[in-house]
Amino acid sequence: MSSWFDYTINGLIIGNVYALVAVGLALIFGVSRLINFAQGSIYLVGAYIGWVAVVRLHTPLPLTIIVVAAAAALVGLVIERFGLRPLQNSVRIAPLLATIGISFVLDQLVMLTFSPNPRALPSQLPDVRFQLGGGTIGPLDLLIAGVGITSALLLFVFLRYSKLGWAVRAASQDRDAAMQMGVDVNRVNQAVFGIAAALGGVSGMLVGMYYNQIDTAMSLQATLKGVVAEVVGGAGNVPGAVIGSLLLGLVESYGVAVFGTSYRNLFAFLLLVVVLVLRPNGLFISPRQAPPEPLTGTFIAPSRPLRIPRWALAVAGAIFAVLPLFPVSFYVLQTLINAWLLGMLALSLTLVAGTMGQVSLGHAALLAIGAYTSALLSLTLNVPVGLAIIGGGLMSAALGTLLISPSFRLRGHYVSIATLAIGEIVALVILNWESVTRGPIGISGIPPLTLFGYDLISPSSVYWFSLAVMVVLALLQGRLLTSHLGRSFRAIRDDDIAARAYGLSLNRYKSLAFIFGGFAAGVSGGIAAHLYSYINHETFNTQQSILALTVVILGGLGNVVGAIVGSVALVGLPEVFRIAAEYRILIYGIVLLLLVRFRPQGLLGTI
Amino acid sequence: MSNIDRRTLVKGSLAAMMAGTAFSRAALAQSAEPILLGVSGPLTGPNAQYGAQWKQGFDLALDEIHAAGGINGRKLAYQFEDSQSDPRQSVAIAQKFVSDPRIVMELGDFSSPASMAASPIYQRGGLVQFGFTNSHPDFTKGGDFMWSTSVSQADEQPLLASYAVRRLGLKKLAVLHLNTDWGRTSRDHFVKAAKEYGAEIAVTEGYIAEERDFRSTLVRVRDASPDGLILISYYSDGALIARQARQVGLKQTICAASSVYSPKFLELGGEAVEDVHLGTRYFPQDPRPEVRKFIEGFKAKYNGQEPDAFNAYSYDAMNMAAAVVKIGGTDRRAIRDAFAKVKDVSSVIFGQATFDVESRRVKGAMNAELVVRKGQFTLWDGKPT
Repeated sequence: MSSWFDYTINGLIIGNVYALVAVGLALIFGVSRLINFAQGSIYLVGAYIGWVAVVRLHTPLPLTIIVVAAAAALVGLVIERFGLRPLQNSVRIAPLLATIGISFVLDQLVMLTFSPNPRALPSQLPDVRFQLGGGTIGPLDLLIAGVGITSALLLFVFLRYSKLGWAVRAASQDRDAAMQMGVDVNRVNQAVFGIAAALGGVSGMLVGMYYNQIDTAMSLQATLKGVVAEVVGGAGNVPGAVIGSLLLGLVESYGVAVFGTSYRNLFAFLLLVVVLVLRPNGLFISPRQAPPEPLTGTFIAPSRPLRIPRWALAVAGAIFAVLPLFPVSFYVLQTLINAWLLGMLALSLTLVAGTMGQVSLGHAALLAIGAYTSALLSLTLNVPVGLAIIGGGLMSAALGTLLISPSFRLRGHYVSIATLAIGEIVALVILNWESVTRGPIGISGIPPLTLFGYDLISPSSVYWFSLAVMVVLALLQGRLLTSHLGRSFRAIRDDDIAARAYGLSLNRYKSLAFIFGGFAAGVSGGIAAHLYSYINHETFNTQQSILALTVVILGGLGNVVGAIVGSVALVGLPEVFRIAAEYRILIYGIVLLLLVRFRPQGLLGTI
Repeated sequence: MSNIDRRTLVKGSLAAMMAGTAFSRAALAQSAEPILLGVSGPLTGPNAQYGAQWKQGFDLALDEIHAAGGINGRKLAYQFEDSQSDPRQSVAIAQKFVSDPRIVMELGDFSSPASMAASPIYQRGGLVQFGFTNSHPDFTKGGDFMWSTSVSQADEQPLLASYAVRRLGLKKLAVLHLNTDWGRTSRDHFVKAAKEYGAEIAVTEGYIAEERDFRSTLVRVRDASPDGLILISYYSDGALIARQARQVGLKQTICAASSVYSPKFLELGGEAVEDVHLGTRYFPQDPRPEVRKFIEGFKAKYNGQEPDAFNAYSYDAMNMAAAVVKIGGTDRRAIRDAFAKVKDVSSVIFGQATFDVESRRVKGAMNAELVVRKGQFTLWDGKPT
């Protein structure tokens, strides 16, 4: 019995830690309907500023907190002014992508300034421990809880009773109406970003002290858990975010208690999916409230796509097809093979995200399903590689559609979060289902690509194979988009209520899109498995999903040619910047930000 | 609009090129035509810290090699390509190295998915892939161009088990391990050896690399009532577990794998890692001449910083590469054959390293039984803690 008390206490302690990030995310979401993927980076910046203050300047704790809050708030204001405000009249997806780019840049800047080695951040509180159940808690636990709950309460009071708070809420309900009533929306946004960033910075510092450890990898994890907690509590609801965080902590802790440590995150993400499916607005938002997403499709930019004449496409295709006949280095071919493989994934995502409006953040899971299916089919059942890859595509289509189907009723950002969770769940199942997937050891000795009995091992033959598969998929998808089916997809994206009124069954069309998209992604994963000869649960990770989404937005949502151009660009750019060594991801992030700023509808425009 | 795109792109690549010229000029200054090794490893991304540690070890070894006259008068240099431990990038790097005639052999990558995805390309391209941190049991099965000086876990874990069970007298163990290919393989070897030595395994818990909160895991461990905790961890997570173990009131002896051996472990763990036992390949007061040379050279080069396990791996790897190139010259096949010929290379990890031609690995790692006392790694004096 006493153990359950300890598990409860431990769950609440870690929930406390999540709450610090979740409150900042909720505040920003409440006003700008934006999931701020840079919140984790501000948290990281706060931790390192805290380190400078404590270790170098020897500031006392109250001063440290003020310094960190002020510096982080400044970072937040800069992000708002230069990163997000220029995008406020552009599409809804642009700020989301901008926050991803900003987080790249901030993380890299911290890494370059402080080196990637973890550092100790000593706590400045007296080292007394209070016995509680079987374990102990320290003053820092209480301080973290205090900061989390106080800030949530303060924000609640601020939003409800102060004039600026009213302005914030007015702006969040209807920006245009608020502006007509004389609310300075920019000032509101500024205030919100400043407060959220100050909170994020302080929480990074406190969590760093709590673990006596800060490193540059803490940013993404903080964002992930914060987003989960925030959505569970009800996106945009500040007290809800605190309760959501505590609930998340408890679920994880009990998950560990019952099933063991390696299942921990599985429970976190399952909780998220269950909450999203049962109460899409989160636990603490009344169903009566107006849906947080607009009913019509302003999420995706209406724009005139750049029409590329057919002959130009044919010429480009021909040039790439004959490329291996010329003396180009195998390195260039390998880079293009990577681009074609990413291109297949991007085709899949541009269909579900662009054409269908279901922005998926867990697309790498489809790669993983295809890769594991194909690898296992060829290794254990001796299925010929060509057939195994098709099997991988089919499995990915079937399983992917099945997994995503409960979230078909969700809209906008909630789809993205559900798919993010499903992606994590797939990776964790692969890690834990050892009898089939061989767990963390992974699958080695996967046979190389063969087709009709011929081994495809030279770079040129792999190049031709992957190019051919991608072109076939692209042509099929192009045909699909101009058909009745493609028009129905876009109708659902642009106005699902009108589409339904017109007699379109949403679930059936969404399933069809995911089946086709799942197949393309699964084939890409299958080819990758045979190319690499070794895969494990880390091969297809969240970064892949985010990269695929970046490609799709860069190319233009729903745009088939754009997806391919985007893949070549985003595989090619980091390789071109390779000469810049440690700086290359920083440069990549900056280029990404500039693209979002100046061409939010993508290079080739949305179809 | 598209004008601006082009302009920004041009600006970006100009900045990149300028950064690049500064970089390559520094490399060229050493010698007109050095023998070039390719290194594929993480300089950015989640494993960036290990890439940075590799560089320190490489650079120290290179200084010593050049002070001793280089490779038959020629200098040795390396070209470090950042893979972010991502298999997609490591395969591109592999093609880059294979098609670059100046590269005579390759070192790395760090993680198994990144390294083993690139193996087929190195094998077919006939370029040695020298994976000096690749403990995955299947790594050298990729082909006869795959060689590794990573200590096989089949060798290391029985040593740790012997320390914990036979020397420290622990009888009922809780094993916490990183749930990666390395952690799992290590755990399996450890559990097997510990059982052979007569200990009981009370519980094993695998955790993912990003995990920071272990309190609930440790309650599970407590309920299994072990008399010792075994950490198959790296230094950052090892320090976190030790701290939280003390916070939840676990007072059992902690015994850790050699990968926690780093000054960072002491810094991050603070008082909580006091009395933690660990088996290592070398230690600060080690009298062996190659270790003295390594530690003193390292401290002199890096402002008194203590080297850690990853520094030692990369230092050894560069020395091994130099010894191999001395025999094999610059021909890629001859270099592969030289791995089988090279004998008794002075090594921090192995003392004297000679490859087992069958497994293409080195056997017989050195072993030292350490304990943390007064915030320092010291040789265990046999006294119970």
